[in-house]
Amino acid sequence: MECNLLVGGQAGQGLASIENELTDLLFRLGYHFFATKFYMSRIRGGHNEHLFRVAEEPVHALSGEPWDVVVGLDEETERLHRADLSAHGICISIDGIREIEKAAKEHFRNVKMSNNILVGLLLNVLGVTSENLGALVKEEEKMALLVAGMDFAERWKMAGRFALMPRAVNTLKFDGNSALGFGALLGGCQFVAGYPMTPATSLQMYLTRAALEMPVHFEQAEDEISALNTALGASYAGLRSMVATSGGGFALMTEAVSLAGMTETPVVVVVAQRPGPSTGLPTRTEQGDLNFILHAGHGEFPRLLYAPGSIEEAISLARRSFELADRYQIPVFILTDQYLADSIQVLDNRPELTVYNREYEVFDDSYCRYALTPDGLSPLTYPGLSEALVKVDSDEHTEEGKITEDLNLRVRMVDKRLRKGRLLEEEAVPPALFGERNAGVYLICWGSNKEIVEETAARLQSEGRSVAALHFSQVYPLTPAMIENIPLMGKRLIVIENNATGQFAKLLKRELSLVADDLILKYNGLCFSVKELYDEVMNRLSGDGGTK
Amino acid sequence: MMKINDIAWCPGCGNFLIRDALEGALTELAIPPREIVLTSGIGQAAKMPQYLKVNYFNGLHGRALPPAVGIKLARPELTVIAVSGDGCNYGEGGNHFLHTLRKNLDITILTCNNQVYGLTKGQSSPTTDRNTANMLDPRGNENEPLNPLAVAVAVGAPFVARGFAGEKDHLKELLKEAIRFRGTAVVDILQPCVTFNKVNTFAYYRQRVYRLDVPGKDRREALEIAGIWGERIPIGVILRDETRPVREPAGRIFQNSVTSVMMEMLLRTHSSAI
Repeated sequence: MECNLLVGGQAGQGLASIENELTDLLFRLGYHFFATKFYMSRIRGGHNEHLFRVAEEPVHALSGEPWDVVVGLDEETERLHRADLSAHGICISIDGIREIEKAAKEHFRNVKMSNNILVGLLLNVLGVTSENLGALVKEEEKMALLVAGMDFAERWKMAGRFALMPRAVNTLKFDGNSALGFGALLGGCQFVAGYPMTPATSLQMYLTRAALEMPVHFEQAEDEISALNTALGASYAGLRSMVATSGGGFALMTEAVSLAGMTETPVVVVVAQRPGPSTGLPTRTEQGDLNFILHAGHGEFPRLLYAPGSIEEAISLARRSFELADRYQIPVFILTDQYLADSIQVLDNRPELTVYNREYEVFDDSYCRYALTPDGLSPLTYPGLSEALVKVDSDEHTEEGKITEDLNLRVRMVDKRLRKGRLLEEEAVPPALFGERNAGVYLICWGSNKEIVEETAARLQSEGRSVAALHFSQVYPLTPAMIENIPLMGKRLIVIENNATGQFAKLLKRELSLVADDLILKYNGLCFSVKELYDEVMNRLSGDGGTK
Repeated sequence: MMKINDIAWCPGCGNFLIRDALEGALTELAIPPREIVLTSGIGQAAKMPQYLKVNYFNGLHGRALPPAVGIKLARPELTVIAVSGDGCNYGEGGNHFLHTLRKNLDITILTCNNQVYGLTKGQSSPTTDRNTANMLDPRGNENEPLNPLAVAVAVGAPFVARGFAGEKDHLKELLKEAIRFRGTAVVDILQPCVTFNKVNTFAYYRQRVYRLDVPGKDRREALEIAGIWGERIPIGVILRDETRPVREPAGRIFQNSVTSVMMEMLLRTHSSAI
């Protein structure tokens, strides 16, 4: 049992506060739900949509099934979605909203309160009563507003129309960017520099808020060039540091990515992708920057790219990014996107809260920042802690850190840096297999598509089809060892990506000689829904009877 | 034998004198080398840290200042000095120059200003005088030179000064005052380029520079002094304003860590449990 609910309207009509209050109450009442939003790049007007899937079991994607409830704060919503209503679906049109606004004005002296009334109405449609809310809502006026909404539901004969049981116990609520921020803090992140850019800004904001209570500093930089160079300065001085941006901002950072590679300064770079090229669709989603991030920065140096597919992975991989950036003294990238960043999800499992405690060695004045070692890792320390002078240089350098044009030493320094890359390959996070190893069809994805693809695979499996899902949360480096236990040879491989050219499919071919039989690509700026992806997969499979 | 690791400056370069003055200033201030971090960008002046006994972060062209900001915020106890040339600090890094001054962290910004691009062999820099001809400006530079001190005064820098490489002792005292100053200290240092700048030579400056006895009494007067250029060129402190608040990070960051207890508190904000 589940209920698919859509609230549409103009920017500035209070959709975000409806989302906040509705998800907060659903969460505290113990419902499973998934919420995401489609919105435009403007402050007022336009047409935005907030989408909710409320269920009795955990859900982590949009279902794509007909809407059970459509609420239109503007006329556009009804025009776009009335035709998509489910059998007993409810459409609260602009006339209904006007009535609610009238009640808000008459009884609560403020038309803005209509949104709280609306939340009460929607909760009542889901079977929530004022008794259920009693323990949660202490504020009298707020309760009165919610009850007023329930009265509307009663009057309009919608009460309990899509009643669901709250079955989530003791859960956690995160959006994708909060999860990355939480993981970063677990990983010991103490310095963040940034310039606001959708959809990365909410991650900066999360860390800024956290910094109020923690030894963490956020610095707003004049531009993204400064942001990454500033973060590298803080990292050099001893703080685990990060930046967060989107494609255009990252473009400005690329020279400093190369600087991190040359100076072997640890740093974590979060790129929340949105559709390009250029400014593109600033508030929509895409996985179009994989190639860019993979190749960003001149010269040759090791790097690591993670692309979390869930809240759990966002937390665990953000933490791990800081550990590995430090251990290998490299830039580590986290690729997320607007879809994961802005989706609110319920988490069943509590993350492990062990935190990083700073450790550093001290040295005498013979210290060499770039000491040549068998594994390529030079002991790292920070200035001012011992007699060691820490000298880092963007030019090719000696072991001590001085500029050199000794071309034999140049070769040894390149080899040293690349040796770290080979060690890094041994730390690879293998892809997650969902389903049977011997499945005939593999749905392969990376990053934020994980849970959409897994639910699609589950649906196909429940129909008796031999389908598995394979999700890569580490997208580079890709090593044969990562897939050695997965018999992909001779299987039908369908690669699913939110871009127009199948960038990951090409990377799989280049690095692992895996050739995709089919690509399912979406690049209109919106995420896949489960139904949409199911239909696409069935379409591909219908040609050969389902499996090879 | 090929000299691959020796000093990369031309014989007679003004940078030698600036290095000596800076070394003297740091020695007389008795700051242990381990507590000093120099940041620099790219160019001949940006090689300065290589030739001093200090910690250093020799980064990218134009980016001497952002790492200095990061280092100072991370470790306020360190003495942080950014040193680069006019092309680096005023051209490629012009935006950082403006906005770093707005922050007013306790750092020192030195610019070895030779009014020419040296390492790329003699093109116009942001401070090249009008009509100066070179390879990329064969008809003469058509752009107005940037007045870095006027810019620094205008955006609110609390300490603004000019030194001259040819007056080493005066420069040393100036650098001491700049490093000691609590807040961002900007020092533009006239540095003759003996190879590519045949106009602004040691002799040219010796005829023109004069020492200021006192700084401008306020920002307006400092702006007037900053505007004096040509037959007479003032050196010394142009502005010293101790009223501007100095930015510091809240709390001691490096000395502390994020703890499990803090994370437990944060996790509660994500929890459905009442």
